[in-house]
Amino acid sequence: MNESYEGQELEGEGQAIISLDGVSFGYDPEHPILQNITLSISQGQWVSLVGPNGCGKSTLVKLLNALLPKGAGEIVVSGMQLSEETIGSIRQCIGMVFQNPDNQFIGATVEEDILFGLEGLCLSYAEMAERLHSYTTRLGINHLLSKHPGELSGGQKQRVAIASILAMEPGIVIFDEASSMLDEGSRNELLGILQDMRAEGKYTILMITHDADEILASDRVLALHGGGLAADVTPAELFRNEELLQKCHLCEPYPWRLARELQNQGIHVDVPASEKEFIDTLWP
Amino acid sequence: MAIELQQVSYSYADRSLWKLTALRDINLSVPLGSMVGIAGATGSGKSTLLQLFNGILKPTEGTVKVLDVTIQAGEKSPKLMPLRRRVGLVFQFPEQQMFEETVEKDLIFGPLNFGMSLEEAKARARQAMLDMGLDLALLERNPFKLSGGQMRKAAIASVLAMDPEVIVLDEPTATLDPISRAELIRLLERLCREQGRTIIVVTHRMDELLPYADNWLVLKEGSTAFQGSVKALADDPSILEQCGLTVPQSLRYWRAVADRFDLTDEAPRLTAESLAELIASLPSGSGNSSEQHEGKRDDYE
Repeated sequence: MNESYEGQELEGEGQAIISLDGVSFGYDPEHPILQNITLSISQGQWVSLVGPNGCGKSTLVKLLNALLPKGAGEIVVSGMQLSEETIGSIRQCIGMVFQNPDNQFIGATVEEDILFGLEGLCLSYAEMAERLHSYTTRLGINHLLSKHPGELSGGQKQRVAIASILAMEPGIVIFDEASSMLDEGSRNELLGILQDMRAEGKYTILMITHDADEILASDRVLALHGGGLAADVTPAELFRNEELLQKCHLCEPYPWRLARELQNQGIHVDVPASEKEFIDTLWP
Repeated sequence: MAIELQQVSYSYADRSLWKLTALRDINLSVPLGSMVGIAGATGSGKSTLLQLFNGILKPTEGTVKVLDVTIQAGEKSPKLMPLRRRVGLVFQFPEQQMFEETVEKDLIFGPLNFGMSLEEAKARARQAMLDMGLDLALLERNPFKLSGGQMRKAAIASVLAMDPEVIVLDEPTATLDPISRAELIRLLERLCREQGRTIIVVTHRMDELLPYADNWLVLKEGSTAFQGSVKALADDPSILEQCGLTVPQSLRYWRAVADRFDLTDEAPRLTAESLAELIASLPSGSGNSSEQHEGKRDDYE
């Protein structure tokens, strides 16, 4: 049922923290959205989930913490098989940052919003205050603590949403195009935060994204297409594979595209790391 | 002019203690049939500015002229209904403006409301769907059962269906996949160049709009930091950094090549393809002059 995998298996060396076996799902039996997905993600991996609009990326991650009723197949998260009994424990391991931050605000102020999640974890006041301070500082939003979420701009809202999830320090963090509303500067900051999170080794990151720079920074790319897993590759393999890029509706990062266009003109250069390196290579 | 702003300021909660000035002393001219990009850091007033363009917000100070309607601070607004048909606004999360039970009903709601016949409205809805690259089979579907990207395209189609002369879009491409983004930008370009519509796009992805926009407005903390042609922006992109924005890579690579060869009069090459063509035509960068590149080529083979 699946289309053939391209590239090698990249399941990583750590213990599998998320595994799916033969998972299918559809709102309407005649139009299945996901068909027979089998994959495994190890603890500490940073995985990009890519594919064209409407291919089932959001559906897949919502199945993981049972925001959608499970269809066929088995889902195991942090060693627990997803079932009525384990939903609560599984949801505690997974933090999810949605596409549209307005969907997840509940507090009357930014501070309350972030504390709401922490209260649910029964932390001490000191611990709550410490995490509030640490995560709002890292995301550059500590000047917004007393504001109502409605007063914030789109990018600010997104940062608040991210801070409120990270403050709960879940083992698995899922970003559903969470950076799509951020400007490039804020996106780079988010990338920095994600890189720190990976370096800490505590987090497994699953990121639905179309952003070339985010994909490039991750360890592994899972591509969904036509309801199945179309590829399981490294970012470099993805960006070198024009056919796969086209299939997933993706574009490569600008320097990669420039190198390819130059190749078409008969000029061979490696993908430059910066414009300076590019100029120095072409015109030494 | 399609849109002209003269010394426009806008404050939220103007007469209260919580007064918040979002825009200060903005002067802006958008010629009919042009394509304009608006950039600025998060919270710089971009979305507020757009809402002045069809009278959702009234200026606290100054004058806003849109097509033949003038809205002046402190004066009673003229009738805005005709203006709202002629100026289509696509919000940041356009999917939030969908409400009907089928996509088709959603798309014909606006046109019917503005007095089109049912048949005409349906024809416009179909055209708008095709323009957005959406399958006509989706017309019968419930809009809330579409994927995020499809919903966004359908919502943009619902604005196109009203046949507006001026189309204003707030971050239209966020959450679309890159191919759909490129298609949307090309569609906007066609609407502009072939049908003479005025297109205004707020974007934080300057890269994708740079090759197409005629002019740019860059906002910083509610004031104009830059206003001018794409050439002027490409000549000195450092203004973007002063506004807390990152200079797009296409602009950085263009600048590097232009500086190396002192290309002051050349039109900026802001796509990888056009820049590669230019490089191929430059001395010692071309494929013919392989002697200069021998070292590099050997590495490769």
